[in-house]
Amino acid sequence: MLSSINNRISQVHLTTDVKQTIVAMLGVTFGISMYIFMTGFMSGVNDTQADLAFSALAHVRIYNDGPTDHSNIAQKIYPNDLVNVRNAKVIKYTDGIKNSAAILATLAKQKNLTGFTSQVNISVFFKNAGNKVNGTVSGVDVIGEDKVYGCAKHIIQGNWSELKYRSDGIFVGVELARVLGLKMNDNVNILTSDGISRNYKVIGIFRTDVLSVDKSKAYIAINAARQLLGVNQDYVTDIQIDMEDYNNTQPLIDNIKSIIPYKVESWQMGNQQLVAGSSLRDTIARAVSLTILLVAGFGIYNIMNMTINQKIREIAILKAMGFSGGDVTKIFLTQAIIIGILGGCVGMVLGYIISRLVNNVKFEIAGMHHLPMTYYPHNYLLAFVFGLITTFVAGYLPAHKASKIDPVSILRG
Amino acid sequence: MSVILKADNIVKHFYEPEKFQVLKGISFEVNQGEFLALVGKSGCGKSTLMYVLSTMDTDYEGSLIIKDTVLTNKSQNQLASFRNENIGFVFQFHYLLPEFSALENVMIPALKLKRLSRTEIEEKAYRNLEMLGLKEQALKKVTKLSGGQQQRVAIARALINDPAIIMGDEPTGNLDTINTQIVFDIFRELAQERKQTIIAVTHDDDFAKNCDRIIEMKDGQIVR
Ligand SMILES: Nc1ncnc2c1ncn2[C@@H]1O[C@H](COP(=O)(O)OP(=O)(O)O)[C@@H](O)[C@H]1O
Ligand SMILES: [Mg+2]
Repeated sequence: MLSSINNRISQVHLTTDVKQTIVAMLGVTFGISMYIFMTGFMSGVNDTQADLAFSALAHVRIYNDGPTDHSNIAQKIYPNDLVNVRNAKVIKYTDGIKNSAAILATLAKQKNLTGFTSQVNISVFFKNAGNKVNGTVSGVDVIGEDKVYGCAKHIIQGNWSELKYRSDGIFVGVELARVLGLKMNDNVNILTSDGISRNYKVIGIFRTDVLSVDKSKAYIAINAARQLLGVNQDYVTDIQIDMEDYNNTQPLIDNIKSIIPYKVESWQMGNQQLVAGSSLRDTIARAVSLTILLVAGFGIYNIMNMTINQKIREIAILKAMGFSGGDVTKIFLTQAIIIGILGGCVGMVLGYIISRLVNNVKFEIAGMHHLPMTYYPHNYLLAFVFGLITTFVAGYLPAHKASKIDPVSILRG
Repeated sequence: MSVILKADNIVKHFYEPEKFQVLKGISFEVNQGEFLALVGKSGCGKSTLMYVLSTMDTDYEGSLIIKDTVLTNKSQNQLASFRNENIGFVFQFHYLLPEFSALENVMIPALKLKRLSRTEIEEKAYRNLEMLGLKEQALKKVTKLSGGQQQRVAIARALINDPAIIMGDEPTGNLDTINTQIVFDIFRELAQERKQTIIAVTHDDDFAKNCDRIIEMKDGQIVR
């Protein structure tokens, strides 16, 4: 097959005008390398944003959404009459999650989870001398919290695991510490909405680079939080779950929603703007790179057309000697495909090099140091396949035209 | 003697620049192994007739039968493969593929036919070139050869598949007396020994005189 006369002719055509072959190849190379760079960069941006977002956000969250409005029960009994209850009140029977052990047991049986953790979140005032700042104290399961949020890597002073053994210890956000003038081993007073007040010792400071978190959040051990509220060992306010694939939360939610009597919410439901942002970036990346590939395709189409016009006499001779229209199509399509494969391989390498270079550009905002970049093999493969399809189509049209050439009209002169 | 080619009332028009009847009902038969000369003044339609006979031109009226196969109205691809196997053609202007060596030009129709192995084809191509005095030029690009040498390469190529019919449109037009004689002798031998049929357009009276039969054309008709 490789030594067939058609392939030999393709090869001779490609090698007699090497310059033209290289120009056609560079079109594909450029298209594919840009595709690789664009998708790598955009998914890098998306991943970075997800990382930032998920330092303060779990993939799925279970919490008590507040009571249903039963203040006008009479209306349900007399649906056809107008029932008016004056000054109705929504009474809250439950607060937080009471049977957390049962829920945690259910979660342990689910697949595709990478971790989950319980929290007791309390709205508080932080006080140090005259300063007063409102915010949240999170009572956390020290190991589980680190697994889900990776908080240990945000600690800039202190040792995260120490929190486990220090019921009087507290980790505060770096901005919160600045506003309150707190340093390591200083005392900070906490006041809950129920009027309970207690002192804690600062044993660590963290920075997540999400400002709203850094200036209003603090961590204490979960049992310390329960003590503060005076609730039992089973009480939690939130259960936070991390998934293997954060884009694929729906199956888990469908699985557990019916057996858990609390609100089960994915990050997508609570953060539509993040979802929109990342899918818009994906769309832009795809549109731009497909446009580039299309332009490269036009380049190949033009060059192939030119080649065929140059070689119209030779095509006529081949046909006069008994080559069929199919043979002629094959001869020129083979050239296009070889250009596509060579250009594609070089394009993948060039795309990688460009990605590396851009990845090294300094970019020091929000905890980043360099421009973000990903190197997913499937993007390289996809770029190559798109490139091949483009060359195939761009090569097929002129090749088909060549196969239709009428030899006599050319040779008669 | 069996009839190998039968042309029946072939009529052809050109429509550009104006409608013009080039071939006005041409009928004749050629026997297998015959060496035929086609003569006539310039512009009388010889080349046009050769393109019809070679199956390349399909835009004509009337019918053409070669080797008991009716070729009129066959598809382009069927005709291409028929040509490849049965017809060797030497054009008035030696049309070779400029990017290939003389040897490769000669080999290409055989590589397409695939009746022989590559090495057999190569040997045969060398023999054909040697026969036409081109052994030394075999590996040169055809663009490096003189007009006469190129024409002989085209003849070597026409012979490569042992076609039943060899058609030449002034095949010796570019050759000196010695080479014309060589080509004539080759044609003569092919007709006699291998029963291949030769139809050659020529302006060379000596060449025509020595053929088995002469067909003379005038204004798109056979006059003799
Ligand atoms: N492509 C063409 N379009 C129109 N007229 C043509 C074309 N080719 C040839 N002719 C005309 O047809 C006639 C026959 O031409 P041709 O067969 O080449 O003659 P010959 O080969 O006998 O010299 C001439 O008058 C020529 O001008
Ligand atoms: Mg002529």
